[in-house]
Amino acid sequence: MAFTMTGEVDLPADRETVWAKLNDPDVLKASIPGCQELEKTSDTSFAAVVALKIGPVKATFRGKVNLTDLKPPEGYRIAGEGDGGVAGFAKGGADVALSPSETGTKLAYNVDAQIGGKLAQLGGRLINGVAKKLADEFFANFARAVSGGTADAA
Amino acid sequence: MYAFEFHRPTSLRQAANLLAKAEDGRVLAGGQSLLPMMKLRLASPGTVIDLGGVPGMTGIERKGRSLVIGAMTRHAEVENSPVVKEAIPALAHLVSVLGDPAVRNRGTIGGSLANNDPSADYPAACLALGATIVTNRRRIAADEFFQGVFTTALEEGEIIVKVSFPVPSRAGYEKFRHPASRFALAGVFVAKRGGEVRVAVTGAGDSGVFRWEAAETALQGRFVPKSLDGLKPSTDGMNSDIHADAAYRAHLVAVMARRAVEKALRR
Repeated sequence: MAFTMTGEVDLPADRETVWAKLNDPDVLKASIPGCQELEKTSDTSFAAVVALKIGPVKATFRGKVNLTDLKPPEGYRIAGEGDGGVAGFAKGGADVALSPSETGTKLAYNVDAQIGGKLAQLGGRLINGVAKKLADEFFANFARAVSGGTADAA
Repeated sequence: MYAFEFHRPTSLRQAANLLAKAEDGRVLAGGQSLLPMMKLRLASPGTVIDLGGVPGMTGIERKGRSLVIGAMTRHAEVENSPVVKEAIPALAHLVSVLGDPAVRNRGTIGGSLANNDPSADYPAACLALGATIVTNRRRIAADEFFQGVFTTALEEGEIIVKVSFPVPSRAGYEKFRHPASRFALAGVFVAKRGGEVRVAVTGAGDSGVFRWEAAETALQGRFVPKSLDGLKPSTDGMNSDIHADAAYRAHLVAVMARRAVEKALRR
């Protein structure tokens, strides 16, 4: 079961700063909703544990996060996949593009996500709302990290 | 069966203390969302705190210009209550089309609101009627309470105690329900109280229940279905999935809103 969405946020920092934050494990860990662990396994990959609580459901996913298509400082693709045990699996990613704007940097994103297993069987009517909520949270958290805790995502 | 701790406190304070102490604790109200997820192992709380033994959390009462419903009041009680039918018949109707008989006989208003499923019926009534959600700590206006898919203003350890609905002069609820789940593909609750009209939409938006302000403005002029002629919510922000795409949902919202107004006038 698949889901896609696009959006953009304006960040009050120059492109190099935003790019550095996009590659900073601490910032990523603080931005990924429910991320409990994010360990660097190479320059572009991480092992992750993400615990998601959505309504009555609570599932812990163990998996990896990879950075690909790196074009410093213009953007990359961040993608992750996790095994939620009995809950099923979830995978998804976002193509992220940075461009200079009048107030700093415009971050445009293109998200795709997929779920399978029990989660997909039961969550069919909810996947869109939940995926959007998680993506919104990620970029809101990231915007807060970039601006030092003052701004919210657009 | 996997192991978890089960508590059945006999006071609200005790329930709150247990919840604060429990690691990974969940409150059990009617159990119509939590228990199926536990059976499927999609939720495995370490501690379940059943509110069924806490006195004073059920009941329906008319208090001046408000209708007050205890958080642990079952849907079926609201559906069949003469007090509700007299004060806000649209609310009794809403509950009569909520879920199936099992859900209506076990599910509770407090549980439904705390869960805030994006297709649930009660959030639409609370938002359109301008209800106040009373917890063990404070009073929360419906406009602040619902904060997106499965997200509410409730803090850790906060428990809903009752809900107070200002009685409207007119109200109506119509939903287009999914034939299998009976959740709303689009549900619209309209309420008029004095000069104020509020229109709340559930099931259709991608961030849960929301107020359709353009319809409110139109109905403020004249509270008749014709005021909504040609009006349709934007497809931006509408949910789109295999059951219904954004354009269809926007269309359904427009149709349900008209029918809800017709119903409100029929009283």
